[in-house]
Amino acid sequence: MKLGWRIAALHNGLRDATAYPIEFIIEFLSAAIAPAAIQWVLWYAMFKIGGAQTIAGMDYHSMIHYTLVSILFTQIRGGDHDFELAEMIRSGQLSNYLLRPVGVVEFVYLRGLGPKLFISSFCILLGIVIGFVSGMSPLRILGSMLLALIGNSIHYQISASLSAVSFLWEEAYSVLMVKNMLVSLLSGELIPLNLFPASYQWIWKSTPFYLYVFGPAQYALGHWSDAQFFQQVLIGGFWLLIGWGLIRISWGLGIRRYLSLGG
Amino acid sequence: MTSQAGHSAIIEAKNIRRVFRSVQKGEGLRGALGLLISPQYQEHEALKGISFSLEPGSFNGLIGANGAGKTTLLKILAGLIPPSSGQAHVLGYEPFKRSLDFRKNISLVMGQKAQLWWDLPALDAFDLLRAIYEIPTQKYQERLHTLSELLDVKRHLHTQIRRLSLGERMKMELIGAILHWPKVIFLDEPTIGLDVLAAHNLREFLKAFNQKEKSTIILTSHNMDDIERLCSRVLILRSGELIFDGKPDRLIKKGEGRLRIRLMQRPTLETLQQVTGLTPNLIEIDSNEGENDSNPSIHFTLKQEEFVPTLQSLMTQFQIVDMGIEEQSLESVIHRIYEEEKTQ
Repeated sequence: MKLGWRIAALHNGLRDATAYPIEFIIEFLSAAIAPAAIQWVLWYAMFKIGGAQTIAGMDYHSMIHYTLVSILFTQIRGGDHDFELAEMIRSGQLSNYLLRPVGVVEFVYLRGLGPKLFISSFCILLGIVIGFVSGMSPLRILGSMLLALIGNSIHYQISASLSAVSFLWEEAYSVLMVKNMLVSLLSGELIPLNLFPASYQWIWKSTPFYLYVFGPAQYALGHWSDAQFFQQVLIGGFWLLIGWGLIRISWGLGIRRYLSLGG
Repeated sequence: MTSQAGHSAIIEAKNIRRVFRSVQKGEGLRGALGLLISPQYQEHEALKGISFSLEPGSFNGLIGANGAGKTTLLKILAGLIPPSSGQAHVLGYEPFKRSLDFRKNISLVMGQKAQLWWDLPALDAFDLLRAIYEIPTQKYQERLHTLSELLDVKRHLHTQIRRLSLGERMKMELIGAILHWPKVIFLDEPTIGLDVLAAHNLREFLKAFNQKEKSTIILTSHNMDDIERLCSRVLILRSGELIFDGKPDRLIKKGEGRLRIRLMQRPTLETLQQVTGLTPNLIEIDSNEGENDSNPSIHFTLKQEEFVPTLQSLMTQFQIVDMGIEEQSLESVIHRIYEEEKTQ
């Protein structure tokens, strides 16, 4: 595996994402503030106005704690690569990448991952600070970040496979939007997944989305043991294999229908 | 693989056909519903059995009117789309298999499509390309220095691509496309939108690069200056068919010239046809002169022996203000071929 172009792609992606630094910072902050605000309003209504003491074993403070920690991983969850890929297929811009001696899907991913890695190193520092105040171990923060990055890869693999719908229908916007809504709900980005009724827990357990935010938050907060963490890393590896297969099949079939429009 | 001239061919096309199928969208609500329930498809044959082979190190022009199939052919040769039938071989590879070695040795520049990253300075993009093509650092520095000097863009290397003028951007695209010294370069209208000086510089550069590096180049352009000055061989496509393959001077028939004439009157093409007995593709009324100009130049493509009879017949009907005899140009020949396409 050649590292040269991969490292260059990561670096180039970071340079591209930070070409407009103010925009980059605003995007980073708003991505953190929006889900946190929604959660805070929800917990306030349930605990302070509704008078609830605990929900699914969590009180007001543990909910707020979950919210703060989950923000760290929401930042890593994945960008809009899928929309970018779908648009590239539709507009013919994909041709630029197909001509290069690199894998298109991997190249686009690495360019998108560049800024995420930068953000994740910032989040690790932030997590260590939060951990210092609330008693979370720095090792757990690092482990959680690893899980979140595995989640990021899985998210991209699923997104890239879905974006291949563009080869067939030209427009894949609604398919990708539905996927994003499901991810918001089933990743633990908006609510902790243990709030799901016991009989519906199988829904989020049977998707890999919980590895994006809920899983890392559980490990960071000490709700998962080290053994459970390693088990989840293995499950993540399994989903990565499935994602790899999905990309091979969807792009292998789709590329034959590519029209390379424009020009 | 052996080309017509007996050399080993670097690019070979054998009976290439490409059919595109597109959905026909009807008007209004009925059309939208129809699209949902029973979509209607239309097939368009963009290439109709094209065959040719090109020698290593040759500079070839690919010309044709809009929709003749030029870009489709380039896309097939570059491996972006497969042919519907027939075979293409470039550098001994089947392009659509897109093997790594094939992609390392080719390049496609599309004048209408940006390939570099819009928000980054050109230097950042070139650095990424250096890593992708595994160009040794020293070689990369040398090439970048040579190319940026030749194209006079050194001072713009640190400027965001989107802030560059069209000409400067095109030059950067070209540098990005050939930094890896490809053996085969496909250029799709590289001088589109460039001013006269920029186009001239680009042409000179391409000529020098082709001669020095012996890269095989296929150039499509609507600018006949590009073709005339650069290409040793021309392929002309008309409605998906290859109608000419040879040296540019073979297009200009010996003993043929152009009679340029300006009349007091402003006759229609039909009237000129009736008076001279010539077919419409041999008569060209200069469209560059404004509608209000009452005496536009009219060009007649004629054999030597036809000059006097044509002049005589014109003088019986019109008053001649100005006239002259010009040599046949490649541009006028191509113009005639395009006109023939329209009338087919």
